[in-house]
Amino acid sequence: MPPAATILAENVHMPIILIIGLAVLFGTIGARLFQRLHIPQVVGYIMIGLIVGRSGLGLIGEQALESLTPFNFFALGVIGFMIGGELRREVFRKYGRQFIEILFSEGIGAFVVVSILTGGIAMLITRDVAVSVAMGIILGALSTATAPAATVNVLWEYKTRGVLTTAIYAVVAMDDALALVLFSIAASVAAQLTGLGDGGGLFAALGRSAYELGGGAVLGAAAGIGLNFILRRVRDRGNSLTFIIGALAIVVGAGKWLSVDVILAAMTLGATVANLAPRRSRMAFEVVERFAAPLYVLFFVVVGAHLGLREMPGWIWALTLPYLLARSVGKILGANLGARLAKAPEVLRKYLGLCLFCQGGVAVGLSIMAGSRFPGEIGLAIIMIITVTTLIAEILGPPCVKFAVRRAGEVGLNVTEQDLLQSYKVGDVMDRSSPSFSEGATLGEILHTIAETGAMSYPVTDAAGELTGVITLQDLKQGFSTEGLSEWLLADDLKQPVVDTITEGELLAEAVTRMQEQDLECLPVVTGGENLRLVGLLELRAVNRMLSQEIIRRREQADGVPG
Amino acid sequence: MEIREFLTPERVILLAGSTKTEVLDELADLMVRADAGINHGQLQEAIHKREKLMSTGIGHGLAIPHVRLAGLRDPLMAIGVCRDGIDDYESLDNKPVRIVILIAAPAGQHEVYIRLLAKASDVLKLEEIRRSIVESDSPEEIYRILTGDE
Repeated sequence: MPPAATILAENVHMPIILIIGLAVLFGTIGARLFQRLHIPQVVGYIMIGLIVGRSGLGLIGEQALESLTPFNFFALGVIGFMIGGELRREVFRKYGRQFIEILFSEGIGAFVVVSILTGGIAMLITRDVAVSVAMGIILGALSTATAPAATVNVLWEYKTRGVLTTAIYAVVAMDDALALVLFSIAASVAAQLTGLGDGGGLFAALGRSAYELGGGAVLGAAAGIGLNFILRRVRDRGNSLTFIIGALAIVVGAGKWLSVDVILAAMTLGATVANLAPRRSRMAFEVVERFAAPLYVLFFVVVGAHLGLREMPGWIWALTLPYLLARSVGKILGANLGARLAKAPEVLRKYLGLCLFCQGGVAVGLSIMAGSRFPGEIGLAIIMIITVTTLIAEILGPPCVKFAVRRAGEVGLNVTEQDLLQSYKVGDVMDRSSPSFSEGATLGEILHTIAETGAMSYPVTDAAGELTGVITLQDLKQGFSTEGLSEWLLADDLKQPVVDTITEGELLAEAVTRMQEQDLECLPVVTGGENLRLVGLLELRAVNRMLSQEIIRRREQADGVPG
Repeated sequence: MEIREFLTPERVILLAGSTKTEVLDELADLMVRADAGINHGQLQEAIHKREKLMSTGIGHGLAIPHVRLAGLRDPLMAIGVCRDGIDDYESLDNKPVRIVILIAAPAGQHEVYIRLLAKASDVLKLEEIRRSIVESDSPEEIYRILTGDE
């Protein structure tokens, strides 16, 4: 019997736009709570989805979930586009062979271990060899897919950069295709074994996969060439975003219409744009990234809301743990073996397998396909097992990705200036030994100090050390304009009134915003409270220099990760 | 920049006092009469605070006390002449001060303030101008010398 809240939701028919608003709002709040516990935000989104969805309060009804399907596909398209943007030619030229060997190895590893273990357990339960083998190989094929969305969301959240990050992008981008091919083969073999399903033979199944994958790639590449042609002529960000969103919606919509692989089409679109115009396209990916945050929240909340755990028979749970265990072991061993065979860097051997636990839309979609092709217990069991394990993998997978990228030393290496501004305090960057002048300092003394230092601005203090003004080089220029004036002008005459001050503990971002808003070159740093006792000086020029140096240092560190 | 933009004949006087404190107060009074927005106490305090840092007697019988004030509307100038000389002004060349030019500018008009100081210093660096001012019998004549001969 459905919960009272579900009945209420189905009868009240909350407007879909209200559901979207609430999902984004509460998903974000959930993410913040989880972030406080140092758990990746994506887990928070999914948990909120679980609470309000089918498995929890049932506040988001079936009809609403149905209405949100196009949004979900579009969000998957955006995620695919962003992943495609990471697949740059130079990366593949350097690591391509290694990544493909690892991909096959981790995929086949998961396939073999899951097939054997789940097939074996199915044998114990059903005592039917054909059914057990069929179930084993289908689950094995589904286990190879890694959810790109939840995985890369962790990479974005923790601003990672380095060879492990690059490998994760490459592997999650491609292993859905591997899953699709393996599923086609497994489903065809299973149909032969069990005498169930629509059959059609192995070659027909492979042909269908080839169409889905090839069609997706061709659609994405064609749209990418067109989009690149347009972006070459559009300079401003607003218009670029409009064209990119338009192209993405067309690719996702056309992909659904033509029944080709939508995520692969969106990835190919991103990869085509990124590789046709590597520099110009950076702006394109930046604008999409800024626009996409609420879409991701909605996507993951809906993923959580979709998972239905209520209608699960007890015996299914007996298969979920072995499936998860086998999939994890298979991926870790496979990735390790593949990295060894490919002589890949050590970080890939050690940590890549840990980053491939997330399971999402592709596995669920294929399981539903299996459900319709194999009516009865096999189909039902596959759908249930994949639903439950998707939930667990989506919750346990992101922390594993976080653990791996942290151990690999890749966290915080892909930062922008804005990220750094948010992470530093004024006290970290200010110049504590910056020269200052007493009010009575003569122009001669001032010039002597300036000749020995490189600052552009100098605070002026009274006898008690409290800030009373600031002298800039511009003010001094005016002091020179008349002969004889320099003999009797003091710092007190040359100083400008203090426009604004800041304290050590405030964020650097706040300081820079205030300097930009008031057109200031520097901000004197003072003690808090009533007294403006000078403790240092924050110069915009020095902040910009520090930011550039830090970004270069982190990128060099990321690109030179050992191995 | 012309001196007449900041000086009126009413703000030129022959000083009655003979000490530094007396003449600075006289000029401060003159300035307060010119701009009702000026707080007398605040102006006096600013003038004396600046003198404490270093005397504004810049030599050759000339002193240019100068301040910036928050309540002031426009930059102002007031001039006082003391033919007998002010001995306690502590000027840079230790000679008595005979011409005192008080300059006050609004706190936010830093550039005008410095240019006005420069202008005053520039006009009075010529010895014959300083001499004709000191030898003048009336404020009107002093005003004419300062503004007409520029």
